[in-house]
Amino acid sequence: MSLDLRQVLPQVENLGLQAAQRASAAAARLPHLERGLIEAAALDREELLRRLAAAPATAHPARPTDEAVDGSWPLPPHPARLRILAADGSQVYPDRHGIAFFYMVNVGSIDLPHGAGRPPHTAIRSDLHFADEDLRDTRGLPIDTHLINARRDAAEMRELARLAEGPALSAVEGPALSAVEGTLALLDNGLLLWAASQEQKASRPDVQRVLDDYLQALDRLRASGAALAGYISRPRSANVVDLVEAAAGLAPAAAPVTDRLLFGRRLEPYARSARFRHPARINDEFASRGHEIQFFYLHTGAQDGIARVEIPGWVADDPDRLARVHAGIVEQCRDTGIPYPLVRAHELALVGQDDRRALDNLVQAALIRHGVTGLASQKAQTKRWTSRRRRHHL
Amino acid sequence: MTAPAPEPVLIGRVTRCNIQGFAGGIRLTEPDRPAFGALCRAPAQAGRIYVIGLIYEISIEDDDLARQLAASDEPAEEARLDQQFVRPIPIEIRALSVGYDDGLRYVYDLPPQPPNTLANIYALTAEETQRFTASFDYLPLVLAAPQLPTDSLLTAAFRLAAQARPEAERRAFLVSAGRECARLLSRDLGRLNNLVRSLQG
Repeated sequence: MSLDLRQVLPQVENLGLQAAQRASAAAARLPHLERGLIEAAALDREELLRRLAAAPATAHPARPTDEAVDGSWPLPPHPARLRILAADGSQVYPDRHGIAFFYMVNVGSIDLPHGAGRPPHTAIRSDLHFADEDLRDTRGLPIDTHLINARRDAAEMRELARLAEGPALSAVEGPALSAVEGTLALLDNGLLLWAASQEQKASRPDVQRVLDDYLQALDRLRASGAALAGYISRPRSANVVDLVEAAAGLAPAAAPVTDRLLFGRRLEPYARSARFRHPARINDEFASRGHEIQFFYLHTGAQDGIARVEIPGWVADDPDRLARVHAGIVEQCRDTGIPYPLVRAHELALVGQDDRRALDNLVQAALIRHGVTGLASQKAQTKRWTSRRRRHHL
Repeated sequence: MTAPAPEPVLIGRVTRCNIQGFAGGIRLTEPDRPAFGALCRAPAQAGRIYVIGLIYEISIEDDDLARQLAASDEPAEEARLDQQFVRPIPIEIRALSVGYDDGLRYVYDLPPQPPNTLANIYALTAEETQRFTASFDYLPLVLAAPQLPTDSLLTAAFRLAAQARPEAERRAFLVSAGRECARLLSRDLGRLNNLVRSLQG
């Protein structure tokens, strides 16, 4: 073991102390913030918007929707049969020390027919990217991880769209599962394309291409009739706290409080908060293309309690799709704390060490077949030699 | 036109081994799991030979997600069906070395070397099973194995080997197997009686 725990011990102690101090400061602020939320709800909408517009640049206050900002909504009834789709992705980044320069996006998905008495259908889509145009951005620079992540996010959304447009599937033969009462498509993330939300990247043609691809998949999902939601477990955002502070004319406090803490006090199990409009600037582009992203907080009834759920405007405006999101997520959290289909999609997407080794072996064999010597760099070799634990017994 | 040879079915990767046997792990769905008494093979000596194993143990390994679902009040039906039929579950198989394929023929003896770590373990196809079990010379290795449920193992192995044959040949194969056991267990009539009864059942 190369970690010197004696060195780390005092730092760990300090970490614990600071966490306790932060928790104490946050607990002291929470009653004020809760009152502030109620007061913000009492403000005239125009006045609230005016105060939010005057918020300092460091704040990112959520924008109100047609729902009262301090409101909460109980759990709606769950349909007897609901088709639930989930997709998650992982990636193998390019490695200049590896045997070849490539990257891979791996998307796992599950089509789970709740209430149909049939096992789900799972799929894995693995795409290897090795062409010059895949590995360089439009400036001719080697592709960065943000762009790969964006392409992975777009691949996840495309996979959901593909599934939503097709018939309900099951791992076993049987009659078509046509009697489902709607479809809920879930992603293990927020719905705004993060790479595109960074201003310096948003204008790049390669990022724009991925954004177009992503928004087209959203178009297809809307047209399919599915409800779509991005599920964020243990969220650390503070957009509603920022709203409360801006509405009260306060500067953001030094001791940060997250929305999760605020709604942990307010929401009953299984209830959701009001919907809010996502404050990120990229949301304007999403809105202009018909996919304004909103979010709400949901008490899932599980250990982690409060999750953030992001939905497009077309789900927010459709009471049936919104109820599917609310009831479907709560039901799927029952056994595993976060939605079961997301747990499985993540498991399917994950590229483990064994998979990575097998992939490298395949690539190496292909290189040799074509007369190319595919060797990892000396640095990669030495890392492999030293990273393995010594084994003294079988 | 002849039917294409069936693809070998991967049932594990070797995690530990010795001359007398090997163990392997993998994640498999329920329909793909091998059976007790089935034959398998794993490469050794850089692929020059295949060690033939007789599967005597199949265990489902600890799995955090399955444990979480088991602990919930009543797992959702779709999650239970997923776990039982779709999700690959980590399993471990253990096999007794009962011979090896040296590329020319089957040798009914312990292999010169065990398979290597992470060597792929494949189930023997019906055709391979027929060829390997055409001789009963592997039986002494099974009967001599300590602390194994040898009688049940042989019964299962004979049944699976019979199923690998055309229906018309199955009874004759089982009769031959019984005769060979009678010869090998002539000094242990109690055990022989159990084995024959199991085969008849």
